[in-house]
Amino acid sequence: MASSLLWLTPLLSFAVGLGMLLVRDRRVLATLDVAGSLAVLGLTLAITNRVVQAGPVGALGIFRADHVAVLFLVLIGLLAVAVSIATVGWMRQELARGHMRAERLHYYYALVHGFIATMLVTVLADNLGVLWIAMEGTTITSALLVGFHGDKHGLEAAWKYIIVTTIGISFGLFGTVLVYGAAAHAQGGVLAGAMNWSSIVAVAPHLDPGIIRIGFIFVIVGYGTKAGLAPVHMWLPDAHSQAPTPVSALLSGALIKCALFGIIRFHTIARAACGPEFSQGLLLIFGLLSVVVATPFILAQHDLKRLLGYHSVEHVGIIALGLGFGGRLGTYGALLHVINHGVTKALVFLVAGDAIARYDTRDMRMIRGLMGIAPLAGTLLLMGALSLAGTPPFSIFISELMVIQAGLAAGRTVVVAAFLVVVVIIFAGLIHHVGQMVFGTAAASASREREAHLPMLGMLLLVAAMVLLGVYMPAGLDRVLARATEIIIG
Amino acid sequence: MEEAAHIEKIAAQAGLLVLLGPLVTGFVQKLKARLQCRQGASIWQPYRDLAKLLRKGTVQSDSASPFFRAIPVLVLAATVTTTVMLPVLWASSGPALLPLGDAILLLALLALARFLCAIGALDAGGAFGGMGASREMTVGLLVEPALMMAVFSVAVAGGTTDLVHLAARRATLPALSWQAPDLLALFAMLVLALAETGRIPVDNPDTHLELTMLHEGMLLEHSGPGLACIVLATHTKQIVILTLVAALFFPLGLADGSAPGALVLAGLAFLAKLLALAIFLGLVESSYAKLRFFRVPQFLGLGLVCAFLALALRIL
Amino acid sequence: MSVELATRLIDVLGALLLFSTLLILASGQLFRAIYAVAMQSVFLGIAGAVLGAATGNPDLWVIAGITIVVKAILLPWLLIWVVRRIQIPREIESVIPINATLALAAGIVVLAFRLSASLGPVRQAITGNALPVGIALILLGVLVMAARRTALVQMVGLFASENGIFFTAMAVTQGMPLIIEIGILLDVVLGALVMGILVLRVRSSVDTDIADLENLKG
Repeated sequence: MASSLLWLTPLLSFAVGLGMLLVRDRRVLATLDVAGSLAVLGLTLAITNRVVQAGPVGALGIFRADHVAVLFLVLIGLLAVAVSIATVGWMRQELARGHMRAERLHYYYALVHGFIATMLVTVLADNLGVLWIAMEGTTITSALLVGFHGDKHGLEAAWKYIIVTTIGISFGLFGTVLVYGAAAHAQGGVLAGAMNWSSIVAVAPHLDPGIIRIGFIFVIVGYGTKAGLAPVHMWLPDAHSQAPTPVSALLSGALIKCALFGIIRFHTIARAACGPEFSQGLLLIFGLLSVVVATPFILAQHDLKRLLGYHSVEHVGIIALGLGFGGRLGTYGALLHVINHGVTKALVFLVAGDAIARYDTRDMRMIRGLMGIAPLAGTLLLMGALSLAGTPPFSIFISELMVIQAGLAAGRTVVVAAFLVVVVIIFAGLIHHVGQMVFGTAAASASREREAHLPMLGMLLLVAAMVLLGVYMPAGLDRVLARATEIIIG
Repeated sequence: MEEAAHIEKIAAQAGLLVLLGPLVTGFVQKLKARLQCRQGASIWQPYRDLAKLLRKGTVQSDSASPFFRAIPVLVLAATVTTTVMLPVLWASSGPALLPLGDAILLLALLALARFLCAIGALDAGGAFGGMGASREMTVGLLVEPALMMAVFSVAVAGGTTDLVHLAARRATLPALSWQAPDLLALFAMLVLALAETGRIPVDNPDTHLELTMLHEGMLLEHSGPGLACIVLATHTKQIVILTLVAALFFPLGLADGSAPGALVLAGLAFLAKLLALAIFLGLVESSYAKLRFFRVPQFLGLGLVCAFLALALRIL
Repeated sequence: MSVELATRLIDVLGALLLFSTLLILASGQLFRAIYAVAMQSVFLGIAGAVLGAATGNPDLWVIAGITIVVKAILLPWLLIWVVRRIQIPREIESVIPINATLALAAGIVVLAFRLSASLGPVRQAITGNALPVGIALILLGVLVMAARRTALVQMVGLFASENGIFFTAMAVTQGMPLIIEIGILLDVVLGALVMGILVLRVRSSVDTDIADLENLKG
């Protein structure tokens, strides 16, 4: 029963997406959207329950859910629900403004659910080849979503996105092939199992370290491109800013985490095969580079969504740093950060989308006085920004603190010092930008429409999670994180 | 006795290649003409042209030095000397055909011939001579290193730069021990052969329009028997290059002694290889247009990279 | 077919693959690049057949056949169709001059061979020179994408990279599982389709090449 849940979840999402192609009515589509996401969330929670109680479960020889996977699963499910609820209001506004045409609506919804389905497969895959195929599937579906509006900027962003990430994950495929080759060589011949992560990890200490090193380099460059690690992050601000806002929320909140999931899987193998220093060292380099490179672009930014895009680069860098520092604390902190950042970034994107719709511009210099005309949105934006900058009592503060502690424990004081400097600079920059947006007086051209509270439910759900994780760590989550950490560091 | 026999063989080989040279050119002309749906001149036309030139008198520019008279002879001498450093019909692993020279000397002599032509063109003081000479030397700058690298990549595998020994060794190996670097070296040589024989897309051998000439530009100032010498040298250089390609990459059917049966077989094999390469030249000339001069380095760059990789992969 | 002969043939095919990639880099015209990558895919299919005969694994024959059909016929035909449909200028604009690109390519190939020469006995798991040629092909594909400004040539570079990966994948021990290889091919085709769609959509709204759009900065 439990193993069939594994393939049922993505299949359900995929089926919902297909079904939406046949529907034309806007309300039915919206209902299907929300219902489908809720079902996905329910299924992911069921899988989590099963894994927590009885350990990892596999299905069909190519799927597997362990404690690491369920973290990402629940994140995807949660974001799917929040985004679906927020899309209800967002879509109405877009149709009213003419940005979205009614006859293309079902394509949009279908693509979104296809996108979610591919992300679910990525996280559930045990077979590394299936993981790659699903990753490429996410690229294809999200590229169509990024360029959905069809305007020049959107198409440029979509092109850069698909070209850069496809070539990037091709590197990842090559790394996969090398790891597979090493595993097959160690097992003395080909087995279908040689592509499975669980079997490779079992023989990992016997794998030839030289070829695993080369393979891991290809993997981290490849999947790192998809995750948005510098220096191959160039596509991220373009794609995340040009995409429709709910899609941006999913991209920043969930997709880049799925790419990190791929890196984590290979990191586990590399740790066992060539010792922790090599892969952790690489992760440190990429992480620090991402954090440092993102900073000037955050400070000098005018476009709100591009700002958030660069911010995602920075936070992916923080996760990489956490994994790079290693040890229980670093890995735990990195995994926690995955959830925290996913939740917070999606929230901020959704609120930002609302603000952009209200002021009809993405330029932050034009957005002023949000608190005055839309108090709930303004509050949410302020809270989200404070959270992103790493302020207590929000969740990101906890995970960032863990990463810093891990860095100090690992003796990497220089890296930690650089990181702290960057964090302070970003804090200042972010507060400055958001403070100007939220306070002050609004221009006359801004829409003073009353806030619709129902679509805000989605965002409120995320805020709740954000605050909750900031002040209290549920015991269940703690157990899952601890067990996941153990799986990664072996 | 040995010496005499050797000198006979040397003279025979040199004579064979020199006499066959114009025939190859004639054949390529005929092939091109046929591909262009016209009759074309007969394949013996180059011989008639040489005979005609020998009958004519010489006219020399006022500004040329006395050395100018000597240049055609020197060029012909250098080129003819290269004909005996190749395995044409014989390839024995025994002592060389008089220690006359190896691949390095061959390429150096060809380079010397090119240099002398250029000097002569500059000496005569004409504008077209100068332009042709500078263009030819530019092409030479790109072609010669590549040629060296391609030849060396094969020589490194064979363990010697003496072409006769090289061919003899490779002929005995199964499937000629072809490897990846050999393939790259072959591609490089084919590209470079087009440049060295002065054919489209690098140079147009049929034209006498000043602005499109590379090699022909250098020959403008020569006339009469001098021009005949240089034209013969051009034919000989072409057949030497083709034989070089055949010897490096397809050393099949080479005779091991003087047995008449083996010699006939070797002769047929040689003619077959020449025919194949001549057809290749003709087809390439008919399929492409001549490149503008500033694009020639890009075309030759491909050959250079292939030759470099052939050598690098051989060493790595 | 003996292992010795198979290794020799794979070596030769690897050289042919390298040469066709150099042709892609050196081509100044769109059609030449497309034909070069089609030729490359044919060589890849032949390599698959050789490996199938050498290891006795029937999956490799299937993969060889599908590779030839999809990557040597279908995808180039798709590219040529897009070119004819929207009358793109056939000249390839380059960011780096062709000679510099070729020099970089030589360096990359040497690097790839050096890298794989430094591996130990696990080298035996991958037949012949498939590993260094695979690495070289991937990096050369990236070079094509970075050094050329025409969208369709960037797609050609992508296909060349994927050919490199396939070459190594087919030569690893006994080849990767069939389902995975088919899945990967399917993904490549879908990706190419989406890219084609994007190119067409940009052409219909804006009169420039999609790879030339540079508005998003900063």
